[in-house]
Amino acid sequence: MTDLRRARRGVMYSILQNWRLYVMLLLPVAFYIIFCYKPMIGVGIAFTKYNPVKGMWASRWVGFDNFKFVMKMPDFPVALGNTLLLNFMGLIAGFPVPIILAIMLNEVRSIKVKKLSQTLLYLPHFLSWVIIGGMVLQIFAPTTGVVNATLLKWGWIDQNVPFLTEGWPWRITYTLVGVWQSMGWGTILYLSAITGINMELFEAAKIDGANKLQQIWHVTLPGIRSTIVVLLILNVGQMMNISFDRPYIMGNTRVQNYCDVLSTFVYRAGITNSKFDRATAIGLFQSVVGLIMVGTANFVTKRLGEDGIW
Amino acid sequence: MKKTLSLIMALVMLLSMISIPAFAEEEGWITLRVEAYDRSIAGFNVEDCWQLKYAQEHFGNPNKIKLQFVAVPRWTEGDVLTTQLGGGTAPDICMTYNGGLVNEYITYEGLWKLDDLLDQYGPNIKAFLGDELLKFGQQDQDGDGVKEQWFLPARRLDVSNVGNFIRKDWLDKLEMEEPTDIASFTEYLRAAKAANLGGERTIPMQFDLYESDPLYNVVRFIDAFIDFNQVTAEDWYAYSGLHEMLPGSKEGYRWLNTLFHEGLLYENFDINDDQATDSALMNGYFGFFSMQPDQPWRTDKNYQKEMEKAVEGAWWTSVNCFKNESLGKHLHDVYAANGLSVILPKTKDSKEEVAIAAIKYIDWMCQPENMFALQNGVEGINYLAVTADGIPTQVQSADAVPDEHKMHAGDICFIANGLYYGSDEKNAAAKALAFDEKYQPELVASVADAYTDAWTQVSFSIPIQASTDYGAMVKSKQGEFLSKVVTCDPAEFDAIYDAAIQDTLNTGASEIIEEQRAAYQAGEFRGTFPGAAE
Repeated sequence: MTDLRRARRGVMYSILQNWRLYVMLLLPVAFYIIFCYKPMIGVGIAFTKYNPVKGMWASRWVGFDNFKFVMKMPDFPVALGNTLLLNFMGLIAGFPVPIILAIMLNEVRSIKVKKLSQTLLYLPHFLSWVIIGGMVLQIFAPTTGVVNATLLKWGWIDQNVPFLTEGWPWRITYTLVGVWQSMGWGTILYLSAITGINMELFEAAKIDGANKLQQIWHVTLPGIRSTIVVLLILNVGQMMNISFDRPYIMGNTRVQNYCDVLSTFVYRAGITNSKFDRATAIGLFQSVVGLIMVGTANFVTKRLGEDGIW
Repeated sequence: MKKTLSLIMALVMLLSMISIPAFAEEEGWITLRVEAYDRSIAGFNVEDCWQLKYAQEHFGNPNKIKLQFVAVPRWTEGDVLTTQLGGGTAPDICMTYNGGLVNEYITYEGLWKLDDLLDQYGPNIKAFLGDELLKFGQQDQDGDGVKEQWFLPARRLDVSNVGNFIRKDWLDKLEMEEPTDIASFTEYLRAAKAANLGGERTIPMQFDLYESDPLYNVVRFIDAFIDFNQVTAEDWYAYSGLHEMLPGSKEGYRWLNTLFHEGLLYENFDINDDQATDSALMNGYFGFFSMQPDQPWRTDKNYQKEMEKAVEGAWWTSVNCFKNESLGKHLHDVYAANGLSVILPKTKDSKEEVAIAAIKYIDWMCQPENMFALQNGVEGINYLAVTADGIPTQVQSADAVPDEHKMHAGDICFIANGLYYGSDEKNAAAKALAFDEKYQPELVASVADAYTDAWTQVSFSIPIQASTDYGAMVKSKQGEFLSKVVTCDPAEFDAIYDAAIQDTLNTGASEIIEEQRAAYQAGEFRGTFPGAAE
């Protein structure tokens, strides 16, 4: 028996040995093939003059025409810049918050208080942006919004604070509302990572005379460092992607130049007029840039001595 | 291994059994899926309504056609249809106000060509719509110089579009006459604000910025500023949809800018908040608003009635004050004769018998007695009496009709836009009868105002490709434009105005203007030019 045959038999053998595990794997693999890999064929749409009635294969091949058309539009660079800026602000303001929150929650002694505050923190994650958008209007609108109305009445300000009506204030409102919405949910991974830290390390630190802050700094944080790094890389990879509902709902015409992002741009330039080829072209562009960013972030972290994601 | 295989097989079988009933069809019957707008009227189930049952009984059963209504939210119909057509899941009969979308699918060859079908199965459709109107749905797709019929334009029975409303009770309190031009209207706004007639939150003038067409509302006021001495017919058509670029418009926007800084406008007009607008309207904060001619008195949302509840004696009345000085006319635009575009989507799986059934259904709908039933419902339930001319009166408002008889005339009987009773006079008379008696005189006056110095909206009989490519981008720029020029510092107005116009041009407006100009020169245009010598 040659080595090759033995090896082949070895693979079959291990599959047969663990067939239950492989059967369990079938569903997720099918999910990825059907919903993630098969649709990838559709990126071809970006290179055709797509006719949805005839399908991609019957549509005319036009090379990079769709990319050129879209990128020449004056709104494209604006939308691209806003996407990067809003995501960057979100990352700077939003990334550390769940870590700090998770550490704080971890130090809460009373189980009841801990559970209650966790639940309250998760809550906004389950609210649709349509609802949050309505709340934001109620709270921050000029003159009629609760904040402005109150401050005006008390005489603390004599002009509206332009939370929603000027560029930078809008960007900050957008970012902070996003942090509020997602911070609770973001703690889940960190909390489970903290739970995974060996308790003996804390005990050892205590015996060495470390106080609470020193324990956090020297035990907790290093313990969840790899989790932080992985999440950071994944977040950087998302820099080009921005959801549609959040900027669309929180934005308004007066800050159009600040709230127009790639997703809302795609909606106008591609979806509303059935130009699916152009919409696909922008989507593909985003994905390629996202891939490059993840790759770069991964490379850099590996150079810094961390594990990275592959 | 065998066990797993058999398990998988069993699962597969189970799954396929679940989907079998969907394919089962009774012998010889076909299913016809018809799009139906859903306006979320409480208690009205579009997919299982009285009109469906009536049509099934009188049309479906005799023809072995199973009718099925597919609900689509009214205000997002264009987006939903875009998705459905793109995915090949659109109903067999669809209708939309999105002409660009229809044009796209004509070029994609995604619609049934209707010429032969109409000749064979649609005599009543042809009679009801007439040759002139049918032309709206014709386009030369194969390039042989002859236009083919690609969609059915619904017949619009009442083309009035503009309703401008002012507070009668405020005028009385101010002891002012109804304004007749911009100057006296401005005076009214200032006086109303000075006297705080709507309380602390008085907003003398309200208008909306609809994202899908941001200038839709203000163009009605701004057109009064256009200097028609400087506008040629060619420019009028070339700049259709872009009136802010016509001579004189700038002064109109400067007027709005002045009003804004005097605190006479709705401050949050560009921060999309429909609910706040609605509640302000019903609470009587506004001194002026502008929508459809029948808007304040509609049976499904009666602003007048609600406002009276909040403020005693509050009263909306139509006002005719946007006088164009260069023409000496109070211009009002009216719709073209076509309403919705009715299409029969065609995919590679579409069967001709379904298209035939669709045309038969619309043909049945076009027969007067069927149309009457679909539009009016049942005597004694939807309306209580009939005039000598056969027009229903004492029409019940939606909340007074039991759920199983709730209906929507226009959405289900889509081929007619407005109630049809056989002649223009009867239709006009019937229009008022559908409203609360107390408000009928106001409605009649408002419709009459809407037809004063009327000009028909411009459209083109060939597709404007630049509109499809850049339309949405240009609209969004127009929104920005409106927001900027109304709210900006008056000292910077000129610079900001010019820059915003340039921005719109760069975004694709110049391509649109060029193509519309070419269409005008080729004679492929519809609508009227108000500056034309009479």
